[in-house]
Amino acid sequence: MVRVNYIRQAIQFAVYVLIQIPLLYKSVLFNQAFAFFYLGFLLFIPYGVSRSFSMLIAFFTGLLIDVFSSTPGIHASACVLIVFIKDYWFIASVGDPEDEINIGFDSIGLWGLVKYAFPLIFVHHFMLFIIENGGFILIGSLLVKSILSGLYSLVVIISIGYLIAPKTQRK
Amino acid sequence: MQNLIDFLYRFRTFGLFIVLEVICAWLIVGYNQYYNASFLNSSNALAGKITQLSTNTSRFIDLKKVNQALMEENSLLRAQLANTNLQKVKIDSFENRYEVLEAAVLNHTFLKPANYITLDAGESDGLMPGMGVISDHGIVGQIKSVSKNFATVTSLLHPKSLVSITVKQSNTLGTVQWGFNSYLEADLKYIPRHTKLNVGDTIVTSGYNAVFPPNILVGIVNQVSLDIQNPFYDAQIDLSTDFSSLGFVYIIDNTAKAEIDSLTEVSDF
Repeated sequence: MVRVNYIRQAIQFAVYVLIQIPLLYKSVLFNQAFAFFYLGFLLFIPYGVSRSFSMLIAFFTGLLIDVFSSTPGIHASACVLIVFIKDYWFIASVGDPEDEINIGFDSIGLWGLVKYAFPLIFVHHFMLFIIENGGFILIGSLLVKSILSGLYSLVVIISIGYLIAPKTQRK
Repeated sequence: MQNLIDFLYRFRTFGLFIVLEVICAWLIVGYNQYYNASFLNSSNALAGKITQLSTNTSRFIDLKKVNQALMEENSLLRAQLANTNLQKVKIDSFENRYEVLEAAVLNHTFLKPANYITLDAGESDGLMPGMGVISDHGIVGQIKSVSKNFATVTSLLHPKSLVSITVKQSNTLGTVQWGFNSYLEADLKYIPRHTKLNVGDTIVTSGYNAVFPPNILVGIVNQVSLDIQNPFYDAQIDLSTDFSSLGFVYIIDNTAKAEIDSLTEVSDF
């Protein structure tokens, strides 16, 4: 079993999710890019934790965000999907670690983190915008919006991750 | 039987995934009903409190802007008061049909495909689902659900918001519906082609439903086209309300709403 550092997970929850709530749909760039950096909390759930358990966590995190944006179910569904595929994607993008590890700068480096996180963030945002929009109409503008928002979220997630990473891990 | 149990056990993670996604789908579909008493929205008591806390902080920083807006409105009201004093003769019963309540905006979105607004007043202040909401510049939306101290408003920037309007210049009835493009514009629908519609015409509420009183500003026509085979104009309006900066709003309580609605129901048979 992975030794989950619960204190670290709690700090990540506080920083990513609780700071997101007042900034939800308010941190907007050029009326196009939204930052949903609460996703960082879910992306940094250690590799190898029981998938059912992390899906339940993702469901309730998504629901918490939904309550504040009056969109019940939308964020939750995207979050559950991300957590369901994240370990498969970790193996595909970074490689099979053959052991449970914490996902962070120390284990996979900055480039590994980008490779791992960006496609997942993009899928999350794209699903979110499609459901919000109620279908595949305007798919071009939705794609642009998802890519821009994805980049924005990625930058915020990685910056916050760097700020709260334990000192010994900064290189 | 054993095989079935083995099968279910092997796919338990995928099963949970499906179950959670189905719950989400159910929540999404359920919320699309126009009125509901779901606790899963921003008028829920705890969420309201937290939003209020964060809004109080940001409002302190915006205080100067809020003051400015209030001053402008004050002068507007003074002007109106002066006007009313000039025309003393009025039909009283009509004017007194509407009561106005006020509330501050705690949270609002305007860039999503379906937007909602959270207010700091609720059931205890006399708010009910279905009441109309206006700002000092024009209409804002309609109340979707209320809790004891908070309310969620379906903004005009929502695909299901339809407002019955008249064109002031020609007295033609029509409908305004938001069309996703931008929070500054909305579509003007069902204006028949035999009437005149020009860029610059004023669009106001018709007062033909029980939600908004007549003659509340909605917007100004900014684009008109008339297709040769289309029975209606294809037009867009500039919304008069600035949805990017909502501070205070007014809720219209139509004291005769129950009476009007019951009459409409009777005549529908």
